[in-house]
Amino acid sequence: MNQTPQANQSTDHLGHDKLSAFIDGELAPAEKQRIEQHLSTCHECTLRVLSATQLKTATARAGQRFAPPPDALARLTAQLHSQQAPAKPLQTMKTQANLPTKTPARIFSIRPAAWAALAAAILLTVSFLGWRQLHPTNTLAAELLDQHLATLSSSATPQVISTDRHTVKPWFQGRLPFSFNLPEPAALPPDTTLKGANLTYLNGQPAALLLFTIHKHEVSVFLTQRSTSPTLTTLPNTRSGFTLHAATTPDLRIVAVSDVNPAELDNLIASLVQAQKPI
Amino acid sequence: MSSATTRSAEFEQLALPLLASLYNHAHWLTRNPAEAEDLVQETFTKALRAFDSFQSDTNFKAWIFRILRNTFLTTRAGIAAARTVFLEDHPDTLDTTASGPTPEEILLRLDNDATLHTALEQLQPQLREALLLCDVEEIKYKDIAVILDVPIGTVMSRISRARRTLRQLLQPQLGESL
Repeated sequence: MNQTPQANQSTDHLGHDKLSAFIDGELAPAEKQRIEQHLSTCHECTLRVLSATQLKTATARAGQRFAPPPDALARLTAQLHSQQAPAKPLQTMKTQANLPTKTPARIFSIRPAAWAALAAAILLTVSFLGWRQLHPTNTLAAELLDQHLATLSSSATPQVISTDRHTVKPWFQGRLPFSFNLPEPAALPPDTTLKGANLTYLNGQPAALLLFTIHKHEVSVFLTQRSTSPTLTTLPNTRSGFTLHAATTPDLRIVAVSDVNPAELDNLIASLVQAQKPI
Repeated sequence: MSSATTRSAEFEQLALPLLASLYNHAHWLTRNPAEAEDLVQETFTKALRAFDSFQSDTNFKAWIFRILRNTFLTTRAGIAAARTVFLEDHPDTLDTTASGPTPEEILLRLDNDATLHTALEQLQPQLREALLLCDVEEIKYKDIAVILDVPIGTVMSRISRARRTLRQLLQPQLGESL
């Protein structure tokens, strides 16, 4: 890098701020398109985008660090609920008559213990689980996209390079705690080619990453064991302009990531689902 | 009175799903579990009282995070934090271009969360705050601008600076572990 990236951000490499805004999806469509165009020819900036995306995902995970301890959770839930429907009408009036700033918070924290315990139980099962599930879904989508972007880097070579399903499938034996079938080349949609595969990890679970091309578009297909992989029902359909489509078979979860048109991505998924069916 | 009760129910419905997020963020601000709880508690109290001024077509999450932050700024820790000088107008103080990382170094291995936790803790509070609102809470820049009460351009540069600083903080540690 001879020039500082910020000095020439309008014409050449991405400046720090633009890169940051780009991965956050904060740029106007025209500018986003201009950057995407630049990325298609600039290996260096593509690597920087990839690296920044990985840092973002890692920050999202690391930043979600402090969960309220159960007793604090109970007190706060009780507070929220008692603000809504207090047991004592007197308190309702006090609450809504705008008490002086300091007292109310402490009044709520000494609500009957029974109610606090009940609230805690409800919250622990509903809201807290919801929170846990909501965030990992976003994280998972980001993780899938990261891994897909990593395969786009020209320096990335698949661990097993083959267009032959008879080479790819056995390669995973002993590497994965599950097995899967690959469709015969003739059963793949038109102009779809298997390029190779990687062993990877999603949410700490081993996964097969199959690398396909449809026309000139790169496609990453992740196969995980259904019994251990997280629920993907709320996985977004698109992320940062890429399509994420998922399917399940009795044993597997299949998620495909690509910028190819969604219908063609679905055809590939369908052929993979079909290949898992017993003959 | 019954409409006030409905309004509080509405508030509870909106605030409850954000409880864990608010607590997490409060903990990052206060760096202490007891203070984090107090901060969330006071935020709920203030937010309900101000709920009549909340317009339903605006972003509730941004609204309540703004109250959380303003409440924090009135605490002792918050006053101390606000007093620290922030070198926002001197972007050159952060030298990131002199020895730019090589593409190999750019591809950080970020599977070690402990390393990143330490780096996040070392980050300047103003930078960390903006970054967490963006990456953890997934709040848009325009809403972060409302929460922090700064122009959107400042949000963009704080987030960008936070990431460059994090990267710098991560590099020597990675060097050691390799």
